[in-house]
Amino acid sequence: MTSRLPIAFAAFFVCAATARAQDLLVQCKRLVVAPDTVLTDGRMLVQKGVVAYLGAEIPAEARANAKVVDCGDATVVPGFVLANTTLGQERDLAEGSIAFTPDLRAGEAFDPWQEDLGKAAAAGVTSLGLAPSPRNVAGGLLALVKPGAEHGELAAPDLHAQFSLVEAARNPERAPTSLMGAKELLRTTFQAARAGAQGGPDAAVLRQVAQGTRRAFVYADTYAELTAALDLAREFGFEPVLVGARDAEKLLPRLVQQKASVVLGPLVPEARQAVLALPTKLAEAGVPFAFGGRPEQLRLSAVLAVRAGLDRKTALGALTRVPARLLDQENALGVLRAGHAADFVVFGGDPLDLDSAHVATFVGGVLVRGKLPQPTRPVAPSPAAGGR
Amino acid sequence: MLMRTPRTQLPFAPLLVLAIASALAVAQEPQAPVKPAPAQKPPAATPPANAEAGPGPGGDAEAGPRRPRRQAMVLEAGTVHPVAGPAIADGVVVIRGERIVAVGKKGEVEIPEGATVRSFPGGHLYPGLIDAQTDAFTDDGLRGDGSLDAGAAFADDLHVRGDREDALVEAGITTAYVTVRSPSQLRGQGAIVRPKAGGFELWTGKEHAGVELRMTNGLGPTHALQRQQQLDGLANTFDGLEDHRKAKSDHAEALKKYEKEYADYVAFFQKKKDAEKPKDGDGEKGDKGKDGEKPKDGDKNAPPTAPGTQPGGEPAPGERRRGPGGRRPGGPTGPGGGGPGDPKPNGGPTGPGGGDDDEVLLTALVDLLAVPQDPPKQEPGKPAPTPQPAGEKAPQAPEKQAPEKQGAEKKDDKKEEPPKRPTYPKAPGKDPQKDALLRVIDGEVPLRVEAHRADELRAALKLQQKAQVPVLVLEQAYGAAPLAGELAAQGVSVVLTEVLPNSLPEQYDAYDPTALPQQLQQAGVPFAIATGSARRAGILPLMAAAAVARGLDRDAALRAITLSAAEILGVAKDTGSLQAGKFADVLVTDRPLFASDCRVLFVASKGHPEYEAK
Repeated sequence: MTSRLPIAFAAFFVCAATARAQDLLVQCKRLVVAPDTVLTDGRMLVQKGVVAYLGAEIPAEARANAKVVDCGDATVVPGFVLANTTLGQERDLAEGSIAFTPDLRAGEAFDPWQEDLGKAAAAGVTSLGLAPSPRNVAGGLLALVKPGAEHGELAAPDLHAQFSLVEAARNPERAPTSLMGAKELLRTTFQAARAGAQGGPDAAVLRQVAQGTRRAFVYADTYAELTAALDLAREFGFEPVLVGARDAEKLLPRLVQQKASVVLGPLVPEARQAVLALPTKLAEAGVPFAFGGRPEQLRLSAVLAVRAGLDRKTALGALTRVPARLLDQENALGVLRAGHAADFVVFGGDPLDLDSAHVATFVGGVLVRGKLPQPTRPVAPSPAAGGR
Repeated sequence: MLMRTPRTQLPFAPLLVLAIASALAVAQEPQAPVKPAPAQKPPAATPPANAEAGPGPGGDAEAGPRRPRRQAMVLEAGTVHPVAGPAIADGVVVIRGERIVAVGKKGEVEIPEGATVRSFPGGHLYPGLIDAQTDAFTDDGLRGDGSLDAGAAFADDLHVRGDREDALVEAGITTAYVTVRSPSQLRGQGAIVRPKAGGFELWTGKEHAGVELRMTNGLGPTHALQRQQQLDGLANTFDGLEDHRKAKSDHAEALKKYEKEYADYVAFFQKKKDAEKPKDGDGEKGDKGKDGEKPKDGDKNAPPTAPGTQPGGEPAPGERRRGPGGRRPGGPTGPGGGGPGDPKPNGGPTGPGGGDDDEVLLTALVDLLAVPQDPPKQEPGKPAPTPQPAGEKAPQAPEKQAPEKQGAEKKDDKKEEPPKRPTYPKAPGKDPQKDALLRVIDGEVPLRVEAHRADELRAALKLQQKAQVPVLVLEQAYGAAPLAGELAAQGVSVVLTEVLPNSLPEQYDAYDPTALPQQLQQAGVPFAIATGSARRAGILPLMAAAAVARGLDRDAALRAITLSAAEILGVAKDTGSLQAGKFADVLVTDRPLFASDCRVLFVASKGHPEYEAK
């Protein structure tokens, strides 16, 4: 039902990285393959920017050609995925004069050299869903971008559609000026697209959403906005990804029923207790969610959620596996399994404890931020424990 | 606007009437021996549930019958972190009353008989956390008040808000310094409080624990030259203080001189009156004394008579002697010499209704407001002797003189000129701001300066040198890294807030508060990590943890929210670590304090449980 990234695109960003990637044998005290799979004294072999082997299955001959990256007592986790961000390019990612631009591509405004990509890597973020601004009711199409050692890369230019029902999308200087106007605009355009009454790329996007071949991200915060988004999703048969969702707690049963997912706004220490406890409530209800905001806010959001009662596995999943799935990249991102991109982050300890220092960030097996741990000992035979 | 303490602003006329009425009432009763005022104790906390009566800290055994010793409480934990020493596995802390009596390893510390034992097998026991800067218990009005000055005391305006910002003790914070980051330049005087369940209590003696000065415009648009101009203006903050101090001390001296001169003034006429009295046996002196003798006309400077006095100047039973400094007593013998309508003695001032009422009333008021001297010990049955001003001898009872000598004195009196009535010295204008700044100069309280950028911090250092401020604490010193050496050399302490990853706005991108603690530690600058906001009370340990990630060692990080913070606040003698003799301010968690999912299990303040997890 969701649009799948063609294998060619998946290979694209891997190949771009492998141009400079060297085979690596990563050794560490804790290798977090996935939130619920942790290898103690873990080893991971990276070849051509992709995770090739894990643990005991690493062949001896493969090890021989690899550069050892001995992380000592560190913890290696999958790179964080930020499902929805403008990367500070608000102005270039919103067409202010027209509210309805579903076919515009955020990837076409991507600047590979912008500083925020470097900050993202320093914060452990290895993949980002570059999204249109929420100032347009139908903003356009997301793109997948990744930071690099020298500059970023556009990994996938044509991902999901984004819509917005938040206050920012209601502009007194042009229609729609109200929530009901925004909802009605979307309803009529979806109806027209489904009926085939309209042609053109914008109608095509809406048809794809209605047909389930393209996921829809919908900005909605308040109860009324969330209700409007869920009403449209029900009417046109898609499973929305709600971005913001500040009042999600009031609609938990409906979120579950309509298989909605959530990308939360950033958590801050001064937030109301109800906001800090929302991730826990979503987890208990079984609603998939990811942390959002600026890249450098992701880790603190997860830490604050844990402090408010969220379990660590779910919190780490909200940084990695879940946003990868929301972007339809679960076959390439979010976990460190064979065949996935070698996007990983090295921390001094558990990344969900603030006393764990960030050591290094790798994208496609290439160090993009931090210092490469120095190899301290020769490659030893793989232990019996471990697996893919 | 924060109201200033009204102690020094007295409505003159109503107080005079009240004073006179009180004096009249007092004079009717025999004077009881004056006892020393009881020692002031801090506001009483809720006593521990298991506490028995017993002499508390500073209790006076002489004050009453001996109370039974309080029952002890023993806390056992998987790991005890004293802070002042290494961590103790399977440790215990023994508490009696408000204080810790012992800390050590289980089995090596004597457990008092009958002690209540609380056991946390896997838990971690720490000293209660200390937040060196918070805005807890203040309201938005105070936080935004731009009219505050150094004379404003936050302690006068603290109150329970009734929301999550009160929940400091639930976060393990047992001591906090309260201030606000208002727009005013001199913001007021911070206070140290002890958060408690549902509220707080002021730390006795620390109600005015620092004077706050803002030397930054914060995030507002500014450039270096503009800041320099503003900072130069602040360099004069402490100007004029010595003049104010001199004016006060000059007034104190003048007051002493006035007391002496007035005593001499009254003594002159008393002596004269005594000389004019009839001989012994001429009737009830008390009756005559109550009516008062009529002084001779013409002596305009003579005070009203002191009726009720006996020959030799001794007051009648039940009557008070002259007050301190020889002034007329404030009782019925005071204004007017004992009753309304008395004619002027020798043409001098009369009582109420006389021609010089204001002066008489003022004199009576002065008597009432005079600082009481320590009363001399009184022998049972005898009236209390007259308290005398410092440095002056007690008046000697006039000796009975030979008649020929008395006659000679009478002749002398006619010739002796009366002294001029002294003028009460005018007090200098009240200035609580200057009083507060003088306390800073005298080292009684620190000057706490909020300064962010390097040039603002330099200006603060320069101000300290120029004004010779003994104790300077810098707040939010984000740009302190390149100045760490200078801070250490000038003995400056730093209170850091915003110690979280990417916590500063874009304009402060160049600063990294999480890396700063380690840099300050390397340079030897004392520092504390604080929340800056009551809303962040729950993450104080996480801030310390964030500093660990940037190189600060764990012990120093823990110290930054306990003992170091206590040292900066000046309460390290009583709290900040688990040591015998200190207050039993303790915190128990289910795992190490820096873990994100660490839960607070138990908090006690002065040995009293204030929070327990359900």
